[in-house]
Amino acid sequence: MEPIRKEEIDDQACGSLAPKSKPCPRPKPGEAAGGCSFDGAQITLLPIMDAAHLVHGPVACAGNSWESRGSLSSGPSLSQYGFATDLTNNDIIFGGERKLKDSIDYIAGRFAPPAIFVYATCVTALIGEDMDAVCKEASERLGIPVVPVNSPGFVGSKNLGNRLAGDALLQYVIGTGEPELEASMGVNLIGEYNIAGEMWDIEKLMNQAGITLLSRITGDARYKEITWAHRAKANMVVCSRALLGLAKQMESKYGIPYFEGSFYGAKETTYSLRQMAFLLNDREMERRVDRLTEREESRLSHDLRPYRKILKGKKAVLYTGGVKSWSVISALKELGIQVVGVGTNKSSDEDVQRIADRVSDDTEYIPEGGASRIIKTVRERKADIMIAGGRNMYVAMKEQIPFVDINQERHKAYAGYEGLLRLAKELVDSIANPIWKLASSPAPWDKEGSYDR
Amino acid sequence: MTVKRRSKPVSVNPLKIGQSLGGILAMQGCYRAMPVIHGAQGCSAFPKALLTRHFREPIAVQTSALQEMDVIFDANHNLEEALTSVLSKHRPDIIGVIGTELTDVAGVDYQSMLKSYKRERNMRGGLAFSVTLPDFRGSLESGFSVTVEAMVDELIQQAGLRGQRNVNSRQITLLPGSYLTPGDVMELKEIVSSFGFEVIALPDISTSLSGHLLTGFSPLTRGGVPLDSMLQSLQSGLTIAFGASMERPARRLHNALGTPYKVFQGTMGLKASDELLNFLHQISGVPVPIRYCWQRENLLDCMLDAHFQFAGVSALAALEPDHLRSVSEWLDELGVEQKALITSYETPAVAELEREVWVGDLDDAEVLGSGADLWIGSSHGIAGAERIGAAFLAAGFPIWNELGSYMNVSVGYRGAMEWTNKAGNLLMRREADHRESRVRHR
Repeated sequence: MEPIRKEEIDDQACGSLAPKSKPCPRPKPGEAAGGCSFDGAQITLLPIMDAAHLVHGPVACAGNSWESRGSLSSGPSLSQYGFATDLTNNDIIFGGERKLKDSIDYIAGRFAPPAIFVYATCVTALIGEDMDAVCKEASERLGIPVVPVNSPGFVGSKNLGNRLAGDALLQYVIGTGEPELEASMGVNLIGEYNIAGEMWDIEKLMNQAGITLLSRITGDARYKEITWAHRAKANMVVCSRALLGLAKQMESKYGIPYFEGSFYGAKETTYSLRQMAFLLNDREMERRVDRLTEREESRLSHDLRPYRKILKGKKAVLYTGGVKSWSVISALKELGIQVVGVGTNKSSDEDVQRIADRVSDDTEYIPEGGASRIIKTVRERKADIMIAGGRNMYVAMKEQIPFVDINQERHKAYAGYEGLLRLAKELVDSIANPIWKLASSPAPWDKEGSYDR
Repeated sequence: MTVKRRSKPVSVNPLKIGQSLGGILAMQGCYRAMPVIHGAQGCSAFPKALLTRHFREPIAVQTSALQEMDVIFDANHNLEEALTSVLSKHRPDIIGVIGTELTDVAGVDYQSMLKSYKRERNMRGGLAFSVTLPDFRGSLESGFSVTVEAMVDELIQQAGLRGQRNVNSRQITLLPGSYLTPGDVMELKEIVSSFGFEVIALPDISTSLSGHLLTGFSPLTRGGVPLDSMLQSLQSGLTIAFGASMERPARRLHNALGTPYKVFQGTMGLKASDELLNFLHQISGVPVPIRYCWQRENLLDCMLDAHFQFAGVSALAALEPDHLRSVSEWLDELGVEQKALITSYETPAVAELEREVWVGDLDDAEVLGSGADLWIGSSHGIAGAERIGAAFLAAGFPIWNELGSYMNVSVGYRGAMEWTNKAGNLLMRREADHRESRVRHR
């Protein structure tokens, strides 16, 4: 297989649709927030649950990050093991390739995984380890795929890491297997990582509509199913920015059409299911989807009634990246919540356009990171709730702002119709919690005029 | 006894935490401070996420955000940019540059860069220092103590008071080790001050990571020991270090200023607490406060009540070296068999221990500790404890499966009692579960 050359990656700036839009901006020293490319690669690949994931580098890249993701597994748990070659001073001087080879052999011998993913880190990239060669040799000798993931932290942002992981899948995994059953009507989900079990809600909906989910890329996935992803009839890209490149390349290489969608909010969910049926070009299925979505939507609107009453007119500040920056807006609008501020620093131009389509004119855009900027917007716009990633959760707590976690560390699934109901509950519970009143009232002895002094 | 290693090419479920995380943690105990990680974005993002998850507090940290080309051409340019940005925007009192494995392997000389930067900017009044904390040696504990040492060095330099000190013999500097929680530091401060001493803890995470309600967001640390108290600590008549890893900063103070120091290697259990209180009693001449006499009795009574529960029980502990030593001494007092003691790297403190200690990972803990009744370690051990059927007692770093674990107390009589009861309760519940499952399957 032809390896992907560097230039080809570079001209698809961050996987966005328009090839000439802004490239991934250089992070500003002293102001940067967010993870590195290694982090991004792991986010994309760790949900392949039955594979072993070996980090080639000093211990902390694995030691500080294993078991920190919210991707759930319905069975095998090998990907939850932290494997690291744990390079020491000597390994760095004399090279760690020997240790890498021994590590791969050890893992293959003891755990017998269907595949091993090997991650480069800054240090191994810097000392010039030839990981590809070690992996190739081990793969031939052991008879299992050993996939090098060349996404060391210092090549860029988390998003770039997502994309490089996608490239690794395309280069080494997709197209190397065939489905066991005839799966002529299958759809792949790309960029859905089964955070808090969202994939399972989506899978249930697809089953009800009779749409075959061929490969999950990569939420709660098994290695095998990704090898036959090229047999799908359509791709749905769930997290638009990061893995769009993968979908595009699958389109040009295997002729699989793709669309971008989301499962946040009833409207988006309905649209996504319809779009799948449309791309599969099956009238019967389209009718089934229509019946399903109608039924689900009417049930949801009934269940949502008490929550809508409470949430109507409430104001929220949304701070997240990529697809969620616009798709969650739709979900919130359906609940009657007004989005008064929205973060755009991790959104592509495409995403920003979609945000603009969904919010009112006076909504504030928060173009740069930093908790202080978000807090300022919350205060100025008198927002009732902040919806952001776990990193900002305790900042919000310090400022006593009701908060709902929307990023990968969260514990609640918000996708699909049931997810929207769960989100509504979560928002109501958060806003109505007695703590806000308690925390904002002073101790009795600090109340003015309560006692004579 | 000897420190052993199992021969294995790969680390499976690592116990080791990167040194730089220890550096960041130490800086959280200083007021208006900002650690700047000289490395890739992930070198600060991962520790930040992990510390936030453990302490449930915002964590102050910034990064020089190195990328490939920066490393090759001029990594210090990024650092300069980061420093300028942090200094102009947030005006920290204390800034610590933490070098990582990336800058170490690339051979970046940021020490002299920081020196000339300080000279050029005429930086006075604040504290700025650098440490080198690559991940391929040491662990959280060493990163923490090396950072405190560098901080102490810089303080001494800044004060420049060789020979002209006003020693305050009623003032004691505490150097609490990395394994002590904010709750522990608070308890230690309270114990020492109850003997009539003024106490300055360096660093003091008990006022920054214990949970406060200050509003008005700042990216700098929101609590901890302020710089003027740090400078004032140089006048202390005595240094007390908790944990063997803190001996080096204590020795620094001794060598530069002549301040005598005392190191308490173990901090858990009856004997360790007796030693501490008796020491304070002797140097102060003040009788041991009545509440500690009571607490001592309470502890002994608690151990009497609990000893049935601990009879015949075996435990494994996977912790940082100093912490392991403390916990091992506490287990000794309970008469619990220590099936396996696993630590992240070798230090004299664990090598001196009268027991077999292994340097390894949590997979080694599973193998060596198989059959143990109690697993003592970080939340990473939950899965392993389940696999070997042991009760799980959360200790060390990181803990995410419990609320408020950062306020747990292990030091003093109160701490020993808290731990003894907690461990005993876990064993009781485990026994009840076993009994239940036996009945069900008959």
